[in-house]
This record gives sequence, C-alpha cells and structure tokens, in this order.
Amino acid sequence: MAETDLLEGVRVLRDEVLETVHHGDREPPGAEVFEAVLRALAVGGESVPGLDLALHDAVARRLAWGDGEEVVLADAEAVFDRLLGAVERAFRDPADQMVVVEAATLVAVTVSRVVALAAVSRASRERAARLREEMAQRQLQEAIERETSTIALLEDELKRGY
Amino acid sequence: MTAPPLRMAGDTHVGRVRKTNEDSLIVEPRAGLFAVLDGMGGANAGDVASRTARDAIRDFVLLRRASLGPKQLLEQALQAGNSAVHLAAQRSREHHGMGTTVVACLVGESGRTVIAHVGDSRAYLLRDGRLQALTRDHTVVEELVERGLLAAEEAGRHPHKNVLSRNLGSRPQARVDVQEISMQGGDRILLCSDGLYGYASAEGIQYLLGSGDAPEHVCRDLIELALRGGGGDNVSTIVLEAPTRTPAPTSTQVVRTTGATAWWQKRQRFLAVAKERGLTKNPIVRGLDPKEALEVVAQSLCEAVFHDLEKSTGVNVWTFAQNLAGAWFERGGDWAAVRGLIDILSAGARAVIDEVSAADPQLGFLLDVAVSRAFVVAELALGGLLSDRLQKVDTDLIQLIAQNDTLDSAIEEPSDTGERFTERPTIPFLRPERPVTSPGVSSEVLDGIHKTVTIARARTAPRAELVKQVLVALDAIAAENSVSFATAVLSARELYGVRAADDAGIMPLFDALDQARVITTASVHQIHASEASRARVLRAISTAHQRLVGATTGLVLEAVAPYSERLRDVQATTAKLREQLERAERRRAALERKFAANTDPSSPWDDHGDTEP
Repeated sequence: MAETDLLEGVRVLRDEVLETVHHGDREPPGAEVFEAVLRALAVGGESVPGLDLALHDAVARRLAWGDGEEVVLADAEAVFDRLLGAVERAFRDPADQMVVVEAATLVAVTVSRVVALAAVSRASRERAARLREEMAQRQLQEAIERETSTIALLEDELKRGY
Repeated sequence: MTAPPLRMAGDTHVGRVRKTNEDSLIVEPRAGLFAVLDGMGGANAGDVASRTARDAIRDFVLLRRASLGPKQLLEQALQAGNSAVHLAAQRSREHHGMGTTVVACLVGESGRTVIAHVGDSRAYLLRDGRLQALTRDHTVVEELVERGLLAAEEAGRHPHKNVLSRNLGSRPQARVDVQEISMQGGDRILLCSDGLYGYASAEGIQYLLGSGDAPEHVCRDLIELALRGGGGDNVSTIVLEAPTRTPAPTSTQVVRTTGATAWWQKRQRFLAVAKERGLTKNPIVRGLDPKEALEVVAQSLCEAVFHDLEKSTGVNVWTFAQNLAGAWFERGGDWAAVRGLIDILSAGARAVIDEVSAADPQLGFLLDVAVSRAFVVAELALGGLLSDRLQKVDTDLIQLIAQNDTLDSAIEEPSDTGERFTERPTIPFLRPERPVTSPGVSSEVLDGIHKTVTIARARTAPRAELVKQVLVALDAIAAENSVSFATAVLSARELYGVRAADDAGIMPLFDALDQARVITTASVHQIHASEASRARVLRAISTAHQRLVGATTGLVLEAVAPYSERLRDVQATTAKLREQLERAERRRAALERKFAANTDPSSPWDDHGDTEP
C-alpha cells in the first residue's frame, strides 16, 4: 500500500481507536497519541523530528487541564492496544501492519518518556516548593516566638497593675 | 604539496523532500582538498551559489598551492569563493541574496590538516573511537551562546537555531574560521552538510564512522541513515581516513585473503571427493539428481566456508548446518544420515587442505585450523538441534505419562451408578485444573521472538549493557504473555534499580528503551519467516515494549509521588503555623489595647471593645 493510502487507512480508524462515540463533542482521551502516530506514519523512519516536542505540548496541555500523569499514560496504553487490534483487523498486508505497529511503538515509547520527564519536573518543582515552605516555617516560628514573649511581657505588666 | 596517501570518499543525495540538490562537493586528492558546500537561496540560486563557490575555491587552491602556506591558502580560497558568489549575486537579480555554507579541509604531508568553515556545515574527527566536532556552527543561536547571552541547553529549542550568522556570498568579505590539526594514523575526518546531522543521531554517525568499513561504504551508510531519519534536506558527506602503518599481515588476515582464495580455487576437488565418498547416495539427498545433490549440499557448504573464512566468522556454516539438519529432523530423519553427511564433507575439506599444504605448508596449516574451526561450528549447530530434539522428547514423555495417569485414575474411579465413563472433559484445554500458561503466544511466534532478540543482541554495541538488559526483559515479557503486566513490572523494577528520580537518573533508561526499540524493529525483518509471522512477532515484541516502558514510567511516577505527599504535609504544617501566629497577633493586639487603656483613660480603645474572639 502506498504511504498516503496507508495514512488514510489508519486515519479512518480514528473513531474506532479513540472510541469517539463515547465522548460526544469532547476531544477523546488519547487523541494526541493517535495524532502522533499519524505524524510518525507521514514522516516514516526510526525517529520522527519534532515528535517529542509535539507530544510534550499535548501532554503538558492535558496535565494543565487537570489530568494526572497516570491517566495520560493509561489513555496512551489503551489507544496503543486498540490501534494494534484495529490494524490487525483492517489491514490485510502484514507489511502494512508492521509499518503501523512500528509507528505506534515509537509513539508509545515517546509518550512514556514525556510523561516520565513531566513527572520528574513536577517533583523537582515540588522539592523547591517544599524548601520554600520550610524556610517560611522557620520565619513563622521566629515570629510566633517573638509574639509569645511580647504577650508574656504584656500580661506580666497588666498583672502588675498597669 | 604532494598528494597524501589517504583513503577517501564523498557522496551526496537530494534527500526525500527536496526536488533539487543544492549541495556541492570538492574531492581533489591530488591537492589534498576536500569540501562540502550547502547552497541557499530561492529559484535554484542555492545550487548556483554552491557550484560557483566550489569552482572558485578549487581553482584558487590548484593555482596558488605552490606559493602559499596551507592555512593562508585555504582561508584565501574561501575568500575567493565568497567573492565569486557575491559578484554573481550582484550581477543577477534572480540570484540576489544567494549564499552557501562551506566546510573545507586541506590535508598536507605528514597529516598536517587545515580545516576552514563558514556556516553550519560541519567537520568531525573520529580518533580512537571517539567522535568530536571540529567546527562550531555559525548560527545566530550559537553566537548568542558563545557571548553568554543564551544558555547552551536552550539553544537546541531556540526557534532561530537554524538561522545562519555567516555564509559565503552575502557580504563582500567573509569571516572564515580556520584551524589546524594533525591527523594520526587511523583518524577519520567527516565533512558533512546539515542534511546529515539534522536527521541522523550523533550516536549513529559515530557508530558508522567507527565501523571500520571502507570510506565509500561509510558515506553511503551515513546518507542512508539520514534518509531513514526523514531525509528532509540534501545530504552530503566526505570521509577521509589517515593511513595506518601496515604491519605484517596477521594469521587472520592471511586466512581471510590468501586462505579463502585458495579454498575457493580448490572447490572442484572438494566436490569430487564428496561425490567419491558417496554424498549423492546419502538419505538426506535421496530423490535429488546427483548433480543437484552436490550443488545443494557440497557446493553450499563450500560457499559457506569460503564466506566465513573471508569474514572470520562462523555464521554461514552455522546457518547451513542448522537449515540442513533442521529440515531433515523435521521430516523425521535420523541422526546417522546427518553424521554420515558431515563426515563425507569433512573428508572433502581434508583433501583440499592436504593439497594446499603440499603447495604451501604454512598456508596449509592456517587453513587447516580455520576450516577445522568451521566444522566445529557446524558440529555445535548440530549439537544445538539435537539438544532441542531431546528436550522435545522429554516433554512428550512427561505428557504421555501424565495422560496415562489420568487414564488410569479414570478407569479406577469407582462408579456408584455403574457407569463406565465419567463426564470428565477429555479435551486438554477444557480441564479446569489446567495451569494457565501463555495463551496468547504460539510456538511459531515464540520462536520468532527469541530469534529476533538474539539478532538484536548481536547488533547491540558491546558496551551497551542497559540496552542488552532491556532486550532480555523484552524477550521475557513477549514470551510470557503479551497481555500480562506482572512480568513487565518485575522487569521494569530490575531495570529501574535504585535510580534517582531526576533527568540524569531516568534518561539513560529511556534512551536504552528507545535504542532497543530501533534495534528490535530492524531485527524482526531479518528473521527467516513469512511476512505474516514477522508481523505477529513484531506485534508481540511491540506490545511487550509498550508494557515495559509503561511499567517503567509507572515506577517513575511511584518514585516521585512522595514529593507531592511531603509537600502537602509541609503546606499543612505551614498553614497551622500561620493560624498560630494570627492567634498570637490577635492576642498581643488585645493585650496592647488593655495596656493602653490602663495607662491612658482617654484612649478610644474601650469604646470599641476587645476584638479578641
């Protein structure tokens, strides 16, 4: 099958793979993975220039909208499984199946790496935030100690009849 | 300047996207001049620019090489190229604004080498297996990095990373960077356009450049690598190799050259002895025409030995022995026939070695050792097959005994109703006590998975231990069951070990996973199986790969989870402290008001009352 035909062949599997019927007008979860597979198929080869960046953007957007990393990862896995099943059924030529499986694996590995890096970045941000909190706690402790001693002084003065 | 005794090759390709090739090459071994030029500008102007500069540079070097030192010569040659392009651009409106990058190399006597460049075409040096860039791109981003205005790690993501800050042709004078290095024996220099390094990884370039293949093969393979990476631009490469002092040929080299040739020249003798000893009557070739039998068996082994001698490997003889005996055993053939055939072939080989020894005893001795080794390899391959057969017999026996036990217990089972037969299912897979093992992987796919992983491991660089571990894990996961996560998680835990949850900790692991993906994908295409089988094997391995990377990412998420929890705990403590402070502040304020009221009765505090809750 020619490259463009193969691409079109995979494109028509979108609804099946992403189960769009269950999601109505909303963007189905894992759509970014499917789009990345199409992109990988369009470019071809062992590595696809820009795939990392595109997936990084898509994953970052999902995380920003409140999806957890586990959810993004699970969606990617579900899309991978459904795509492999759909391709085995839809493409008769094993060579075509192999091309799509290769692209899907490339995307699966890339998504996992992007999610892992996002998690690691979040962890380092949280580590920094914790340090800031601990600094703030130290300052708060000092302020509380100052207030406590002032209160003790004032109470003492008031007891003495001022 | 006399021509240096270099090995060199250059090649260029239009790529997969562009319609014209705007790159040009200079390969002038007589003058020791080599260059790659990458033209730019619309309406084929890039092509014109690179060709104009190429001709001007080459002419300048050929004319002036006797009168100028190498450094001056190359720098002025590039200036001449710049002037030629600049003038041509001024003369023609359609070529206005055209330019070209250039990286040029002038190799002198005793390895003294001058390298000059303008733009983003690069020169690399491979020395002792290590690749280092000799040039720094003249791009806006690189200049910003050099001046400390941009961090190096941001450079790769900068939107203007490909915008050139210098080229030949845009200005009357070009700023040329020139440097001099000394080439040592075995060094390799690569000159290339951005169509190579933009679409091929540095590891891939290093691997091919250091492969030891001839420069022309390296050039071809590098271009192939860039094309497989997308081939979005014209690709040009020149590979130069400094000669090493030729030592006396080693025994291996003698066998690879003279020995292999001598063997091949005596192949008729080999065939004649095989025929004399009765090869054509062996049961394995029964049914074949005698001539055909000789061709299929003796000629094939003769060729396999020849190729293995040439390459100092045993892979051809191994494959021959496995294919021959494997097919025979599958047809139910016996061991004696295989043994007899190998003995006949061995006698043929002995006759050839004796003839060679008679003419040249030293060569005969070396050939004897090498051919004997080839036959040992064949015996090992047969040993492997026999071992597989024994295992199969063992398994069959165990199953047979189990079936007999089941049958005995069924017969002995007392029946109250007097019925002779129970309703116990006899079809094995309906037995409820049947252990669940690998329902999704057929033996054919299993075999394909093992073969793929074996090939992949052989293709993996010796030091890439992590990649090898990933391959072992993939083998286990794919063979276990493509839908099972347990093995994937266990394997991921082993791979993850005690890594730190940061970029430096996890990136090598993900790089290894990606490399394993590339290697296994390529290896699947090398196994001997139908396309449909290969597709099934690839699917199984890819699923295993997805599971493994998923599990690894899961471990990363698990490792970073405590950071969130700790942050939440710390934030809760901070909130408590803030509340405590607020309470203390309110208490102090109340006390101050009381204190003020006591000291000054006219104070307004009393009217407002105490605000303490």
